[in-house]
Amino acid sequence: MLLCDFHIHTTHSDGSVDLPRVIDLFGQAGFDVIAITDHVVDGDNAIGKLGRFLRLSVTEKKFGDYMERLRREAQRAWDKYGMLVLPGVEISKNYISSDRSAHLLLLDLKTFVPASWDYERIFLEAKRQDALVVACHPHHQSDPTSKDTLFLWNNRERYARYIDAWEIANRDDIFNVISLKKYPYIAGSDFHKTRHLYSWKTLLDCERNVKDVKRCIRDNRGVAITLFRN
Amino acid sequence: MDLFWIFAAISGLGLVGYAMQILAIRRHLGGQENRQGGGAAHPDPDSSASLEFTDPISVLKPLKGLDDNLFDNLESFCLQDYPLYEIIFSLQDRNDPAHKVAAKVQERHPDRDISIVVEDCQIGLNPKVNNLLAAYRRAKHPYILISDSNVRVGPDYLRAIIEPMRNPAVGLVSNPIRGMGGRTLGAIFENLHLNSFIMGSVCFLDRFLRMPCVVGKSMLMRRIDLEAAGGLFAVRDVLAEDYVLGRKIHSMGLKVVLSEYPIDNVNHYWGVRRFINRHTRWGKMRWRIGGFRYLFELISNSVFVSWLPLLFWGPTGSTVAFAGGVSVLKMAGDYFLARRISARIPFWHFLLSPLKDVFVGILWFAPLLSRSVTWRGNRFRIGPDSLLTPWRERPAENAFAWTAWFSKRTTVSGRP
Repeated sequence: MLLCDFHIHTTHSDGSVDLPRVIDLFGQAGFDVIAITDHVVDGDNAIGKLGRFLRLSVTEKKFGDYMERLRREAQRAWDKYGMLVLPGVEISKNYISSDRSAHLLLLDLKTFVPASWDYERIFLEAKRQDALVVACHPHHQSDPTSKDTLFLWNNRERYARYIDAWEIANRDDIFNVISLKKYPYIAGSDFHKTRHLYSWKTLLDCERNVKDVKRCIRDNRGVAITLFRN
Repeated sequence: MDLFWIFAAISGLGLVGYAMQILAIRRHLGGQENRQGGGAAHPDPDSSASLEFTDPISVLKPLKGLDDNLFDNLESFCLQDYPLYEIIFSLQDRNDPAHKVAAKVQERHPDRDISIVVEDCQIGLNPKVNNLLAAYRRAKHPYILISDSNVRVGPDYLRAIIEPMRNPAVGLVSNPIRGMGGRTLGAIFENLHLNSFIMGSVCFLDRFLRMPCVVGKSMLMRRIDLEAAGGLFAVRDVLAEDYVLGRKIHSMGLKVVLSEYPIDNVNHYWGVRRFINRHTRWGKMRWRIGGFRYLFELISNSVFVSWLPLLFWGPTGSTVAFAGGVSVLKMAGDYFLARRISARIPFWHFLLSPLKDVFVGILWFAPLLSRSVTWRGNRFRIGPDSLLTPWRERPAENAFAWTAWFSKRTTVSGRP
C-alpha cells in the first residue's frame, strides 16, 4: 500500500515550512505520494484580498514560479526518496458565513485556476486538465481556530457529481457523514506545521505513478485511511 | 560576599574542566576535524594495511518510530565502501512507521544484503535489547555492530570502526557522537549538549582517566566476545546496556576503544520535552552508576554555577558581570569546539548555549528526586548499575510523597 498525503501547504501560502523542507520531512518519513496544495484565494472578496495582501495565496502571477519550483522538487523527491509529488492547489472560497465557504483541492493541475470563478467553471476546467477534485474538510471541524467550510456539503446534491473524492478525515478530524453517504474518500493532514505530519493519511493499493494514483482515487477501490502516529 | 567567591572558584574550576575536555577532544580527533562526510576521521586510504582488514560485519539496527532524518540515516549504512557486510533492520511492530522507511531503503538498494526482521521478543525490560534480539539471532558474520537508528555515517565508517579490531586485545569499539541540524529549541539544545558536554566527557574519560567509555549509538564487538560476556541476555534488564557491555568486556581483559571517527546524530525537530526526558534519563543512569562522581557534573557546569549568585543576590554589577563573563567564555568554547569537530551548526545557536547550560543545571537535580525513568513509552524504576524493575507507585520512595501524606492528614482531620 502506498502511504499518501494529498493536502499539504508550504510557505508559498500560509504554511510555516518551505517546500524543500516539506519534501525532506515527508521523504525521510517514508511517504510514497504527496500533493502540494497551496491556497489560491478568491481575490474578489475582502477576505481573499486580505489573504493576497498578506501573501498567503498563490496568484496567477506567481503560479508559473510555483509550478517550476514544484517540478524541481518533485524530481528531487523522486530521485532521492522514490516519492511521487503531485502539483496542486487548494481553491479557497472564504466568506464570513461558513455555509458559503468552501475549499477544494485540485490535484495534478497544469495551469492556473482562479478561485473567483464559479463552481461549475472550476470543476469543468479541472476536468479539462484531468485534475482530481477533492472537497476538503467538508463538515464541522473540532479545531476552534479552523473555520468550517460547509458550502459543498450543503449543496452536495448539486455538486457531488463533479467531485472525485471527499476528505473523510482531515488532520485530527473524521467526517462520518462522508461514510454515511458512501461518497468516495481520501484523508489528508492539511499540513501547515511540522507536527501536522502525524495525522490522518490515505493508503492506496496501486502503482506509484500519477495515472494509477488518480485512477485509484477516482474509482475509490483499494483506498484506506490510517492515523499516522510516531 | 564570601559565598560569591566560592561560586566564582567553583565556576573557574568548571571552566578549567571544560578546557581540559576541549583538549581531550582535540587530542582524540587530532588533525582529522576538516574531513567531510559522516565522520571526521578515518584511516589513510593509501595505507594498504588498513584496506586489508575488512572482516565481514553484521550491522544490527533496532528501529522504533521516526527519528529525524531516518531515511538518510539508514541509507548511509547502505553506501559503505566495505566488501562484505549485512544490515538487519529490527522492529517489534509491523505497523511501526519506521518499517515503511526501512522497506524503502531496502527497495532502493537491492544490491546490498539487507533484511528486515519484525518480531516482538520480550526477554527483559530494556526495550532496545528486546528489539535487538531477533536481529542478533539472525546475524551471520563474526563481527556484530549495534547501531542506533538516529545516527548517520560516512561511507568509510565501517572501515574506520573495524580498524582497532586488528589488535586482538581490543574487544569493543564505539564512536563519539556529533550533533547536527536543529530547527526547534529542543533540537538546538540537544545538539549543543552533544557537542560540548557529552562529547567532551566521553573524550575526557577516555583520554585522561583511561576509563572505558562506551557510547551505545555505535558498538562493534566480535560475536565470540559478546557471547563470552553473556550476550544480549546479560544486559536485558539494565538501562545502560552499553556501559554494562563495555564493563563486561573490559573485565574479560579486553580493551574498550573509542574510535577517532565521530558519527552524526541529526536532530531537527526535537521538542524541549523530549530533551528533558532524555537527559533526566541519562542523568539518572549516571547517578545510579557513578554515585558521588555525579556531583562533578554540577561543578563542571560553570554557567549554571555562575548564575546562582544572580539568584541569591539579584542583579548587581558583580553578579551580572560574573554570569555574563562565564557565559561568554562557555559560548566561545562551544563555538570553537563545534568548529573543531566540523559540526555544521548556525552561529546563532551558540547564543542559546548559556540558557541550555542553566536548563541542564536544573535537570541535574532530577535524579536525586526520582528513580523512575520513561523510555520508549515504558516506565521503570532504576536501581544500582542502572538495573531496571517495572514501575509501581510506592509513595514511600517518591520525593513528593509528603504532599500526598499531608493532603491525606488534612482531609481526615477536616472531617466533622
